[in-house]
Amino acid sequence: MNTVALSARQTGFALLGRRRDARAMIFTVVMPIVLLVLFNSIFGTRGSTTPVHGSRLSIHAYFMAGIIAYAIMLNGFSSLLIGFTTDREAGRLKRYRGTPMPPGVFLGAEIIANIVVIAAMVVTLLLIGRVAYNIAIPTSAFGPIVVYVVLGTATMCSLGIAATRLTTTPDAASAIGPFATVILGFISGTFVPVSQLPGWLEQIGRVFPLAHLAQGLQGSLVAGSGLDATNVAVLAAWAVAGLVVAVRTFRWEPLAAQG
Amino acid sequence: MGITVRVRGMPAPVVVVQGLRKAYGSHVAVKGIDFEVQEGEIFGFLGTNGAGKTTTIEILEGYRSRTAGDVTVLGLDPAHATRAWRERIGLVLQESELDPLYTVHETVTMFACYYEHPRPVDDTIALVGLREQRDARIGQLSGGQKRRVDVALGLIGDPDLLFLDEPTTGFDPQARRDAWTMIEGLRNLGKTVFLTTHYMDEAQHLADRLTILRDGVIVAQGTAAQLSAQSGGTVIRFTLPGGVTPGQVEQETGTHPDVSGAEVTLHCEGSPQQVLYQLTGWAEREHHTLENLVVSPPTLDDVFLELTQESTA
Repeated sequence: MNTVALSARQTGFALLGRRRDARAMIFTVVMPIVLLVLFNSIFGTRGSTTPVHGSRLSIHAYFMAGIIAYAIMLNGFSSLLIGFTTDREAGRLKRYRGTPMPPGVFLGAEIIANIVVIAAMVVTLLLIGRVAYNIAIPTSAFGPIVVYVVLGTATMCSLGIAATRLTTTPDAASAIGPFATVILGFISGTFVPVSQLPGWLEQIGRVFPLAHLAQGLQGSLVAGSGLDATNVAVLAAWAVAGLVVAVRTFRWEPLAAQG
Repeated sequence: MGITVRVRGMPAPVVVVQGLRKAYGSHVAVKGIDFEVQEGEIFGFLGTNGAGKTTTIEILEGYRSRTAGDVTVLGLDPAHATRAWRERIGLVLQESELDPLYTVHETVTMFACYYEHPRPVDDTIALVGLREQRDARIGQLSGGQKRRVDVALGLIGDPDLLFLDEPTTGFDPQARRDAWTMIEGLRNLGKTVFLTTHYMDEAQHLADRLTILRDGVIVAQGTAAQLSAQSGGTVIRFTLPGGVTPGQVEQETGTHPDVSGAEVTLHCEGSPQQVLYQLTGWAEREHHTLENLVVSPPTLDDVFLELTQESTA
């Protein structure tokens, strides 16, 4: 079987596993949808707006873009961190390494499977926004949304893989992944508009990529705004840093077992 | 790929290890060992925990680098493993859990895709005795059944050389017997098997030749019969009568007893006649009944204990 066909098979295999993992589905797929509905119901009085890039965006659109960013971090960073740590510590990566399968096929398939889930999540959240909250996406926003989703996914995936070097047990990964995502969610403008955050919290949030992904997406929903250079630059810097660390430190054998 | 020249009637060794050493910092785990594995044999590699067994196997499997020495596996240095080489190697690792969310058939089918010329999937599942569990999720299988999936994955690429690292740990006696039958079947398929096990009866039953490792050094090599003969002597076993201490037995027979539970083992260097005479004479005088009294050549278990305990005795 050639590498392309094998990669397709391996990706299908990975997606089958994702579909059967009920616990992961609840946290990474159902949860963002529930949060979108909850935030919009609790805080989103019809017609209210929040400041974005010197303009104002409807609170519904603001939460939708924020939750899309949150879902990308959950499915990119958190899921890959948990998935690869679990596979490594269970000895599955070591077993794969002992077969003739090129290592890149397995890694690529796992990443592509997460990208497929992310793409489905983005489309689902946009559709819910359109149908339930009547959020119109300006045509000028299509390009920037695609750029932010692709760049944000690359950033979160590379950081998720880089972080596997820090976790020696699946339990630690299962705590760190979602915990980091929720904490950053609060200070990055995905759960609470940044205009309502104390300045110092907002500053801390802006160090990390989630704030730039969320604010990039929120900004692009303001008609005619396009891409923001700072958001793109910070996301790209994190993506490169994550990739360099991931490539240099990735381990195929269990870390906990090594004396 | 190099060209392998085979002289008829003289198969090339599948594994050649010469002067293998492995140090972790100041700790030397493997201290210069030599052995060969011949084509088509079941090679038993034994040793206590910490003897350097796992280190050696992982070097042969291409997972670990070595400090010194020459290693050739199927004509190639495993430190430079290639995809073509991996096609010919099957691995059953000691600790590697499978993903519980997939069925047996799905898992074996996926692994079959990694190889150019895999064995038929259903055939391989039947070979390891999982025909009934074909569509069961791995998470629902028993420990022994999961281990069989491991073996199926080791075999699916139709390897020339199969590493079996403790293949029957956690099996019940019937499952172990079934696994033995299966491993013997591999010999009939012409596979070379590199077997490690903690069970001496398993090694005795399956392995054509054995190598015993202690503290990073090979302390014995040969067939089970050769090792027993080399060890020499005779073993007397019986159940310790109630109210008798091992010390009394030593006093009466002049031989140090190994005690395991209620079972006492006396190792006699030469003929057991003298020891047996003293033992039975004492038992008669004191009206003790020596239940389960057996006089036999040493089993592999005895040889192994003798060889691996010398340093601590």
